[in-house]
Amino acid sequence: MTTTVGIVLVSHSAELVAGLHLLLKQIGSDTVPLATAGGTDDGRIGTSYDLVLAAIRRANVGAGVIVLPDLGSSVLTARTVLEDHPHPDVTLVDAPFVEGAVAAVVAAASGADLKTVVEAAEEARNVPKF
Amino acid sequence: MSPNSDTTTTATTMAIHEVTVVLPANLHARPAGQLARAAARFTSVIQLQHSGRTINPTGVLAVMGLGATAASSLTIRAEGPDAEQAVTALADILANAE
Repeated sequence: MTTTVGIVLVSHSAELVAGLHLLLKQIGSDTVPLATAGGTDDGRIGTSYDLVLAAIRRANVGAGVIVLPDLGSSVLTARTVLEDHPHPDVTLVDAPFVEGAVAAVVAAASGADLKTVVEAAEEARNVPKF
Repeated sequence: MSPNSDTTTTATTMAIHEVTVVLPANLHARPAGQLARAAARFTSVIQLQHSGRTINPTGVLAVMGLGATAASSLTIRAEGPDAEQAVTALADILANAE
């Protein structure tokens, strides 16, 4: 079929996002272009403009990219990157970090288009955990 | 429920299939992901029933939200042109969950 929608995970913590990446591999992310941007350039807690930009470029294989921030300055940094490098097929998504990533990965792995992957991530807010 | 279509021939190609599976293991993240990705491949409308709740198995979070544990039973129901294949594929994933 066509190419797969890419997913970028932006977190204050390299360890947090690496752990989430491992969980997503269990759920079937091996066919999804998934890139992470965790922590600052020198490995501290925070966010990095350059890491976010590089992750978006890695994840974009032609079908678009959703960017999932964990919270706070992850949102601000991702927003700044997207303002400086506007691309119609790169979308910042407001969703719970873990649940949104899980739902987005499954949708992308199923061959969904960008709009559907965005909706899957956003809907994660409304699905009860139990 | 109510016939709302002016096409009279489609009904003959529609089939309803249903099967109940007893889970060999808890329905955790990995099989839930497998199930959701498999369910998305079919055009039939698929439902997963567990403990009085019915969900659409294409939603991985909804599948996990069932909280289905080992030895409990789930019913897969599909309606559509590929209902039998859908039920077979999903039942296979559930029956082999680890």
